Amino acid sequence: MTYKTMMMAALLSATALGGAQAADPIKIGVVTPLSGTYAGIGQQVKWGLDLATKEVNAAGGIMSRQIELIYEDEEANPSVAVQKADKLFQSNKVDFLTGTVNSASTLAVGQVAERAGKLIATTVSFADPITGDKCSPNVFRVNAKAGQQSAALAAWLAKDKPKAKIFFLGPDYLMGRSTVAAFKEAAEKTGATSLGEVFAPLDSKDYSQYFGQIRAAQPQVLYTSVAGNDTVRLLTQMQEFGLLRNLLVLGASGTVTAQNIAAIGKAANGFATGVGYSAELNTPENKKFVEAFKAAYKTEPDLYGADSYGLIYAYKAAVEKAKTTDTDKVRDALRGLTWSTPQGQKTIRAGDHQAIQTMYVAQVTDGKFKIASEVKGEDAIGPDTCTRF
Amino acid sequence: MSGAIEYFQFVLAPQMLIGLVVGVAVILVALGLTIIFGLLDVINMSHGEFYALGAFIALALASIGLPFWLLLILVPLVMIPIGYVVERGLIQRVFHTSERHVTTLLLTFGLGLVMEDVFRLIWGPNPYRPETPIAGGVDVFGIFVPSYRLFLIVVGAAIISAVALIIYRTRLGAMVRAAAYDRHMAASLGVPVRHVYAGAFAFGVALAGLAGVLLAPIYSVFPTMGRDFILMAFTVVIVGGMGSIAGAVIAGLFLTQVQAIVSLYISPVWSDPIVFGIMVAMLMVRPQGLFGRLGHG
Repeated sequence: MTYKTMMMAALLSATALGGAQAADPIKIGVVTPLSGTYAGIGQQVKWGLDLATKEVNAAGGIMSRQIELIYEDEEANPSVAVQKADKLFQSNKVDFLTGTVNSASTLAVGQVAERAGKLIATTVSFADPITGDKCSPNVFRVNAKAGQQSAALAAWLAKDKPKAKIFFLGPDYLMGRSTVAAFKEAAEKTGATSLGEVFAPLDSKDYSQYFGQIRAAQPQVLYTSVAGNDTVRLLTQMQEFGLLRNLLVLGASGTVTAQNIAAIGKAANGFATGVGYSAELNTPENKKFVEAFKAAYKTEPDLYGADSYGLIYAYKAAVEKAKTTDTDKVRDALRGLTWSTPQGQKTIRAGDHQAIQTMYVAQVTDGKFKIASEVKGEDAIGPDTCTRF
Repeated sequence: MSGAIEYFQFVLAPQMLIGLVVGVAVILVALGLTIIFGLLDVINMSHGEFYALGAFIALALASIGLPFWLLLILVPLVMIPIGYVVERGLIQRVFHTSERHVTTLLLTFGLGLVMEDVFRLIWGPNPYRPETPIAGGVDVFGIFVPSYRLFLIVVGAAIISAVALIIYRTRLGAMVRAAAYDRHMAASLGVPVRHVYAGAFAFGVALAGLAGVLLAPIYSVFPTMGRDFILMAFTVVIVGGMGSIAGAVIAGLFLTQVQAIVSLYISPVWSDPIVFGIMVAMLMVRPQGLFGRLGHG
C-alpha cells in the first residue's frame, strides 16, 4: 500500500513539474504505524485522511491546489518515526506532517519539525504533556487529550452519582498510574472521595486476590485503566464473584474496545468512559461522515479515523486563511482556528495548540457503546500549562 | 480476639481459598510437565501452548454445540494422538544425542512459538470467553465463592489423585516408572519403551489440554494464554522435585498460598519475585527439589 502511494506520488509530482506552478500539490507527510501492534490505529488514521483528502480534492483542493498524502510506516517506534519524518521534510519537501500515534513518536517528531521549520499535528496521541509542559510551537493536537477524557467522565459522574465513593484499580506501569492519578484528581475536584487504589501487574491472570480489598472498601464506583485481555479477566471475574452488582465501572478509553467487548459479554454492561468521538453521535454531519466512511472502507470510523478526517479540514481552513503554506503564517492561522468536524466544532487554543471540543461519555448498553452525556469543551479542557510560547 | 477471628474469616480465609483455586490450576499444568520431565528428561517449553491448544480445541468443539461436560472427556482424547505424534515425529528425532537437554529444549521452545502464531492465524488475536458452565455461587462460612471455582477445586483434586493412582498403583504406571529408572533394563524386560515414552508425553500434554478446558471460563482464551501459568508451573516442578507428583502438589499449594497471602501485605508486583526467590533458594540448598525424580524414590 505504501509502495503504491509512493508510486502515485512519484507520478503525480512528475506531471506537476511539467505543469504550471499554481497547480503544484500541497504535500502532507503521514508518519503512522502501518505495521505492528498499532497497525489497526494507523489504518483508521489512513482511512480518515484519505477520505477527507479525496473530498477536498474533488471540491477543488486548497486554493485550487490538490492535496497529496505521502505515507511512511513508523512502526509505532519513535526512532523510526524520527528518520521517516526527517526524510519526508528533507527529501519529499512536505509542507505539513501528521499521523504519529505513539505519544513518544509525536514528541520526537515535534523536535524534528522544529529543526526543519515545519508544522505537525497529531490526531491520536493523548499523553497530556504534548500540549502541556512539553509543548512545542510547531506541534498541534486536534484530538482530545487524556485530561479532557478524565474531566468529561468526572463531570458526568458528579451529576450521575454525586459525591461518589471510588476505588481505583490500574495496571502497574506508567500508563496505569498516570490514568488513575488523572482521574482521581478530576473526580476529587468534583466532590468524589477516593477509598483506595491497587495496582496489579500487567497480564495478571487472577484479579480475585484484590476482591477482598475492593469488597472491604465498599465502593459505589470502580475506576480502572486495564486494557485488552486484562479487562476481560477483571470484569468477568468480578461478575463471577458478584461484585458488579450495584457497582458502576468507569475506565480509560482503551479499557473496553471493539477488540474485547465481545469476550467481556454481559460484564461490560454499564461500563462508561470519556471519549472525544463515537460513531453513534446523532448529528447530520456525523451521519454523513459515517456513511461515506462505511461506503469507502466497509467499516465504521472510530475516534482515530474521525479526528484524522477533521485535521485535513483544519489545515485547509488555516492555509486558506493564511493564503500560503508558509510555516509562520499557517501557525498564526491555526491558533484560535474554529472549524467543523464530524464531532462538531473544534477550536484550537492559541496558548497550547490543544483543540477544544465537546466531550462525550459513552456507556455500554447491551454490548454496544451509547452516548450517555456530553460535556462542553470549555468544561473539559482544563488550564493551559504550556509555557514555551 | 473477635477482631482476629473476623480478620481470618473475611480477609485471610477468602484469600487462601482463592489461592487454592490458583494452586489447583497451577498443579494441573505442572503435573504434565513433571511427568514429561521425570520420564523423558525433556523440558517441554511448549507445555503452555498445549494448555492453550486444549482451550482452543474446546472453543472449536463448543461452537458446534457440544456441551462443556463432554469436552472435559473429548479434549484430552483429541490431545493424546497429537502429543503422541509430536513425540514420535519431533522429539525422538533430536532425543538421542549427548546434547539432549539443549536440543529438546530448543525444539519444544520453537514448537511453542509456532503454535502460538498458528492460534493467532486461526482464531485472531482477540480474546474469547466461554460461558461459565456453573453459574452462581455459594456461601462458605459467610464468604461468597463462585460455584465454578469450588467445582474446580473438587475436580482438580480428583484428577490429581487419579494421576497419582495411575502412576503409583497400576501396571501401566509401574512400566512408566521402570522406564524412567532405567530404560535399557526396562526394555530388556519387555517394556515397550518407545511407546511408553510417546504415551507419557501424550498423557502429559493431554493433562495440559484438560487444564485448558477447565480454566478457560475463568481466564479466557487467547493466543498468548500459554505464557500465563508456565513460569509458575516450572517453578513448582523445580521446587517439588523434577518428576515427582507429590512434590508438584505440595510445592504448587505452598507457592500459591505464599503468593496469595503475601499480596495482602505488600504490592502484588512483588509476589512473583518472592516465589522465584524461593525457587532460587531451593536450587542452592536442595537442587533435586523436595522429592526425588520419578522412579527414583
